[in-house]
Amino acid sequence: MALAPTIDGKDAVGPRWPGLGAWGPALALVAVWLVLIAATGLYRPDFLSHQTLLAVTFTMSIVGVLAVAQALVAISGGFLDLSQPSGLILSGLVTVRLAEAGMPMPVLILGALATGAAWGLVNATIIVLAKLNPVIVTLATNFIGLAALFLLFQLAQVPRGTAIHEFGRTSLLGLPAIWWPMAALILVAGFFLPRTRVGRRAIAVGGNRQAARARGISLPRTRIAIFTLSGALVGLASVLFVASSGPFNPGSANFLQLNVIASVILAGVSLAGGRGNLWLLFPSVGFLSTIPTTLVFFGLASDWQLIFQGFILVFAVAFDGYRARRAP
Amino acid sequence: MTITSAQPDRFEIWRERLSGSVASITITFIIVMAVGLLWVGPRFVSTSNIGIIGSFLVVPLIVGACAGFALLAGVVDLSIGSMVGFASALFAIQIAGGMDPWIAAPLTLLACVAMGAINALAIVHFGADAIAATLGMLTALRGMTWVITGIGGASGAIFAFHPGLFGMANSRVLGLPVLFLLAIVLSLIAAGVVTKTRLGRHVQAVGGDDKAAARAGIPVARVRTFALLLSAFGAGVAGIVFVAQLGSAARATGFGLEFQVYAALMIGGYSILRGGVGNPVGGMLGLLVVAGVSNIIELKAISPYYTNIIVGALLLGAVLLDRLRGGDPYE
Repeated sequence: MALAPTIDGKDAVGPRWPGLGAWGPALALVAVWLVLIAATGLYRPDFLSHQTLLAVTFTMSIVGVLAVAQALVAISGGFLDLSQPSGLILSGLVTVRLAEAGMPMPVLILGALATGAAWGLVNATIIVLAKLNPVIVTLATNFIGLAALFLLFQLAQVPRGTAIHEFGRTSLLGLPAIWWPMAALILVAGFFLPRTRVGRRAIAVGGNRQAARARGISLPRTRIAIFTLSGALVGLASVLFVASSGPFNPGSANFLQLNVIASVILAGVSLAGGRGNLWLLFPSVGFLSTIPTTLVFFGLASDWQLIFQGFILVFAVAFDGYRARRAP
Repeated sequence: MTITSAQPDRFEIWRERLSGSVASITITFIIVMAVGLLWVGPRFVSTSNIGIIGSFLVVPLIVGACAGFALLAGVVDLSIGSMVGFASALFAIQIAGGMDPWIAAPLTLLACVAMGAINALAIVHFGADAIAATLGMLTALRGMTWVITGIGGASGAIFAFHPGLFGMANSRVLGLPVLFLLAIVLSLIAAGVVTKTRLGRHVQAVGGDDKAAARAGIPVARVRTFALLLSAFGAGVAGIVFVAQLGSAARATGFGLEFQVYAALMIGGYSILRGGVGNPVGGMLGLLVVAGVSNIIELKAISPYYTNIIVGALLLGAVLLDRLRGGDPYE
């Protein structure tokens, strides 16, 4: 394809991989993931071990939950939530403080969910009232949030011996306990998004706001609902985060951001909104979480993982753009 | 042109000048200067203090002036912070190995422009989303920075002290760092290019409405490719300057710089989501405002985290102003 005179890929509609239907990209993603596992296994048979499975699934847990939250924002036309690190650390801090006060596990979880939801609601309120783009609003609130958190505390950690500390270190059915909430969330959210009224409204708003409004869907209400829900999921991620990590500071969640956004894009969720299957987050998060372990088995320092993840992302979005442009 | 017929035009021009983005950032800049003078005292504007602010501002100013072209062309380049890190590591490892700076610098810039070309290929040629593609490049370049600085040993830093280079980078004219003055001149040249040349008008047209620009015969793909390459080149120059100034490069060099720079550019009137808006002078003033706020906070021995709180608030205020001035409301 020659250099196109205009960039107009976003208008493309219709089945993108004829024949395989909507499952084409999914199969491609799973295939790439399996090839990676098979290739590493052939090169180093000891890669295919329970140890590797534990490492990969552990990495998947927190990123997976955050990716669902991020994908909901993107699908509903909110582009990106760049304030996830602040929301995660804020909810995590609340969880730690509750754990230090000796509260039982359900209270910790409720506290984290409520804090995360409140953070999402703050973002949504600014976005809806000032009619500002979520990317910029969340960029600003993340600046403010992280700085405020640094003024609040330097290091925090859940006390040893508490239930949540145990939860972060035990395994269930051969996998880390923190992996199961993530897997359940992807399954449930992926099932309900296209099958419930609020889910379909979110997709409709993301796809075409004017059309959605014409159908009587309230844009501000949908935005507030999605950002609050997404924030609550960040709160859930914070429970997994504080349970499994050691002492953390307000900057400890920053490194997650890139992986989360990369997972969402690799899963085929359109940043322009209106398109995305949450179930595909499972292979995309899994694939990106396998890379670090794979590299270790190929004898490369862990520093190399970012290079691979970065170029995979560039390649994936270039491929996605190319496909969207070629579609009728 | 008679005076009567020129009057409405002139009125329009002045209204635009007084209410435009450059006007509001100029007012903000004056407020920051006034607060600094009144609260900190005359030492705020002493040559030594401005010299300190200026030295820190050289890298952001160079990055901002060049990345501003990508913003104007409607293709945000998030990879600039990592590009600065990549360039500094690549340049430092060559200097540490005893290579002549005059050979190391072009090689480094070539590598940066090659990386920028990958951005351009993905975004312009294949139609990738600019935010997503350059986020990937950001990640990859950070990885390369880590790998290169890893060669320097476990410290995660490369010591590349070059006496000639250090002397040149830290020389002063009238008590101010030469590089700072040059970076200001660069911003002014960028402003001249944007407002006074055909190239500048093309960049703005492409960012404003690419389809209309294409119909008007402007080579949209070429303009955007140029903007992305220039953005990478500017970050490369900034990485080299960083090493020359400090005599070392580290794993974290340039980390998060893209958000700092874009926050300042948006405070100065650019938009990262809408091409064709903004002006390099506004961007420069935005960076000066942020640096001024940070300096006041530092001189008053207040926790530096307050700087980010103020920057975040200024950012929200600036984008709100931009929307009230006619930017698209988000619903």
